[in-house]
Amino acid sequence: MKALLELTKVQLKVTVRDFVVAFFSFAFPVLMLLMFGGIYGNKPTPFYGGHGTIDVMVPSYIGMIIAVTGLMNLPLTIAEYRDRKILKRFMATPLKPYYIIVSQVMANFAITLIGLLLLVITGKLVFGLHYLATGPSFILAFLLSIFSIFSFGFLIASIAPNANAATAIANIVYFPMLFLTGATIPLETMPAVMVRISKFLPLTYVVDLLKNTWLGVSQSYATDIIVLVIVLVVSFSISALAFRWEYT
Amino acid sequence: MAIVEVRNVIKNYGVLRAVDGISLSIEEGEIFGMVGPNGAGKTTTVECIEGLRKPDGGTISVLGLEPYKERAKLYELIGVQLQETSYDPKIKVWEICNLFSSFYGNPLPYSKLLERFELTEKRNSYVSRLSGGQKQKLSIVLALISNPRIVFLDELTTGLDPLARRSMWELIRGLRDEGRTVFLTTHYMEEAEYLCSRVAIVDHGKIVALGTPRSLIESSGMEERIIFEGTVPNIEELKNIKGVLDVQENQGEVAVYGKGADLLQNAVSYLQAKGISYKNLQTRTPNLEDAFLKLTGRKYEEDKA
Repeated sequence: MKALLELTKVQLKVTVRDFVVAFFSFAFPVLMLLMFGGIYGNKPTPFYGGHGTIDVMVPSYIGMIIAVTGLMNLPLTIAEYRDRKILKRFMATPLKPYYIIVSQVMANFAITLIGLLLLVITGKLVFGLHYLATGPSFILAFLLSIFSIFSFGFLIASIAPNANAATAIANIVYFPMLFLTGATIPLETMPAVMVRISKFLPLTYVVDLLKNTWLGVSQSYATDIIVLVIVLVVSFSISALAFRWEYT
Repeated sequence: MAIVEVRNVIKNYGVLRAVDGISLSIEEGEIFGMVGPNGAGKTTTVECIEGLRKPDGGTISVLGLEPYKERAKLYELIGVQLQETSYDPKIKVWEICNLFSSFYGNPLPYSKLLERFELTEKRNSYVSRLSGGQKQKLSIVLALISNPRIVFLDELTTGLDPLARRSMWELIRGLRDEGRTVFLTTHYMEEAEYLCSRVAIVDHGKIVALGTPRSLIESSGMEERIIFEGTVPNIEELKNIKGVLDVQENQGEVAVYGKGADLLQNAVSYLQAKGISYKNLQTRTPNLEDAFLKLTGRKYEEDKA
């Protein structure tokens, strides 16, 4: 247990020292919020079904942070550790191997949570953010989103033949999801064809679920939940079969 | 009582047989070396013994444990340095030491280890800021945190400059002096000759020869060579001296090949008795590298990376 905590702590430190990850998980979402909040404010608008721009953007940007930690940082770290034979070195200790994966998940979970808090605090202090979720619905949606997207990231780490390939795959997956799922640019502003493409990207369902639970919209979340559970189960199953601790 | 016992170990990678029936045993307290060119099967053999790979055939016992099956127990008792592991560049020296300490039930205090390996000043440095020698010292520190009875060092000194390599040799001797058994692989013959009580020469997945460096050199039947500048009027007479096997003369340089401890003395006495003047007399005693060349029929240098 001590080993798991130490691994997570070290992983957290190492990740935060990486400028790119720290910038895109912590600074970038807050800067976007300040910029668009400064333009549109948080007054209810019919464009967002009577909700304020900030109240819609904060949960969407949380989806963006999950994409950075889950689709970029998680798979790239694991692939790099495999390339550097760090995973193999850990195998030659009494450490339980799955602790390595669990610690990666916990560290990236913590980074996502810090990013979420920074967004929420900024939104609250600067723009009077509203949290309208009923009961634990948003928290459950957040957890499902994390596990689903992290599994997808773990799948990238499992199928990539090396760290360079993992970087390439992660970028191919990450950037369309960043722009075509509503995580940064609202789907409401997009032409029909782009909305149709968005239906094929798992992050679309994350953003939809996070946004609507946050706003307390009473609607059925069945589609979002089913898609994310399928992504979770399929990614995890393939990873469990394909994952290798080292290249042979 | 041997603490490592390897019997007829076989390991295949696809159609390639990387380890082809290797047997050896290691006594407690010795520095045992495995030498051979890259691709000879050294690393695969060590990784089977360390429990990182499952052999396709044969048996291995390390401290009475079956390495691959009883890894969890084994790794409390041995320390491992792997070839080519490079740690996260953004981790600090003390952080990685602290991390490895958390893996063990009863770790050695790492601050003392850092002091011993002259890394105390670097404890707050990122791993990426260490020199090659310091990185290798750090991997020994990490291997020692478990307070191991056996330390495995795989190509520890590869890529280090001669000075760093020398200082590493003294540190390895220090490990033996405090009662640890050391198993090392290297492709530097002079390293094996200097450090090891026994050496296994490996080529194409097989042990070609095994013994003390001295006995390997002697059993290879290599000759000593004496070279000097001068003119010998009667070559046949020189050839008949005790221990001399052959004499060759070439452009004023004479090479005397032979065997035996008193070869040099006999040759020099002959030259003096006959009043033959000689300059720049040198002797060349065969070393482990010569023995390796003879035993494997290879040109060693060409195989080096």
